[in-house]
Amino acid sequence: MKGAGAIEVEGLRKTFHQTGTGEAVVAIERLDFVIRQGDMVAIVGQTGCGKSTFLNLLIGLERPSGGRIAIGGRTPYDDFDHFRGVLAAVFQQDRLLPWRTAIDNVRLPLELLGRDPREQIERARAWLGRLDLARFERAYPHELSGGMRQRVALARAFAIEPALLLADEAFGHLDEVTSAALRRTFVDLARMEGNTAILVTHQLEEAIDMGGRILVFGRPGRLLADIDLRTWPADKVGRVRADIQRMMHENQPDPQFTT
Amino acid sequence: MIVKRDEAAGGETVEALEARQPFRFPREMVIGLLALAVLWEMVSMLVPPFVVPGWGRIFRSLAGLRLDFVLITLARVVAALLISFVLGLGLAVVMYASAPFERYGRPIVRLFMAVPVVCWILFAVLWFKWVEFRIAFVLVVVCAPVFLVDVLDGMKGVSKDLRDMLRSFRPSRTHFFTKLVLPATLPAILTSWKINLSLAIRVVTIAELVGAVTGIGYGLVVAQELFSVADVFAWTLILVVILFLAEALLARVEERVLRWRA
Repeated sequence: MKGAGAIEVEGLRKTFHQTGTGEAVVAIERLDFVIRQGDMVAIVGQTGCGKSTFLNLLIGLERPSGGRIAIGGRTPYDDFDHFRGVLAAVFQQDRLLPWRTAIDNVRLPLELLGRDPREQIERARAWLGRLDLARFERAYPHELSGGMRQRVALARAFAIEPALLLADEAFGHLDEVTSAALRRTFVDLARMEGNTAILVTHQLEEAIDMGGRILVFGRPGRLLADIDLRTWPADKVGRVRADIQRMMHENQPDPQFTT
Repeated sequence: MIVKRDEAAGGETVEALEARQPFRFPREMVIGLLALAVLWEMVSMLVPPFVVPGWGRIFRSLAGLRLDFVLITLARVVAALLISFVLGLGLAVVMYASAPFERYGRPIVRLFMAVPVVCWILFAVLWFKWVEFRIAFVLVVVCAPVFLVDVLDGMKGVSKDLRDMLRSFRPSRTHFFTKLVLPATLPAILTSWKINLSLAIRVVTIAELVGAVTGIGYGLVVAQELFSVADVFAWTLILVVILFLAEALLARVEERVLRWRA
């Protein structure tokens, strides 16, 4: 689907009301940016800057309080069913169904799409193979290590070949080596498949490691900087890293990175 | 990366590992029960047989009992439990889907659960003429609310993480239910079966005391009228064995169905 993974965010706001007191809490103050089809973007920011809220709005699990968020021209909350097979997410916890084996977990979204059972198995098997899990397709999640479970979750997301792939702190909780390897797999596969990919993280190193565009979020839910690392010479990346760290610490934008 | 399966047996399947686990003789249980049986026999030697009959008398009574009554009582329990389960599950699904229905329905279910069994039996005798219907009514009215509450709580206990994960893939309402809610509720369903099985076996005998001319409850009434303490003990023994066997059967089913649990 051409342009199906392009994202437009205009004046986006999200406010929650606390249970009991009814007090309004601003999760996203204002966000404006555009992500093109096939782009690879890392969203980085400290805890409480609205990263997960933004992702929930993007998935369509929450309705914006104001402004607009659209994927391929359609809003994920209002046109909820339109996005069946269009987007897939990998979360911080693997969120595998514990009663399903690895292959049955990968099949799950294909079952929801009503794909032919033979195709479901073939495709799930192929993705498990690509993620080095061919030997473990009959294993239940509790029999696998944390890294392997997250790879099953990756296979589940990639299996439907979505136009838009989202990863919400999906690798940060694993050990450094596993985390880096999985992130690399995620980036390589997303590039190979031509998906639009968004990686949400609170770890700046993870964002820089992706080597693409970085959106720096400040509290509460506003854009501090929009940086494309590919436009910066390699010897300047260290300085950019220091600038981002300072922005995140001071929660203030830097005019040199504002588009 | 190491997998538990690899650590255990070089990539063998879980089923193969389970199959190789040796049978463990329940030594403590057998010794405990045998000790009780010996104590019983010793007490029976000290007191008259119409108070505590010895095992010889009890086994003679067992041989003379109408064992078809056991099958009749079991059939009543199984039929009533199936009806209760369908009813409980159906209402739980409706309450899960409709918050107002749950808000209005919950207090009624709680009221039903608060009514003592003996009151339901009296209502059944006063309202209905047909004995089988009386027994079924009492069992269903006691067991269905347990199924309903346990299954509904199980459904509502499905983690938000899993619900959000599935919703991100845009399932239909039917898929959301069949792929996530129902399988996630399976442990709660099995627990409610365990609770209700022992409940139903205890309640059916009381229900059969009133009006029935078949079944273990009726057998107990006859034993009481004949002042046959050995018969009462023999029927009690049968009831306890049935309960133990049913629990063992459910434990096997649970082990098999929930083998995905760590």
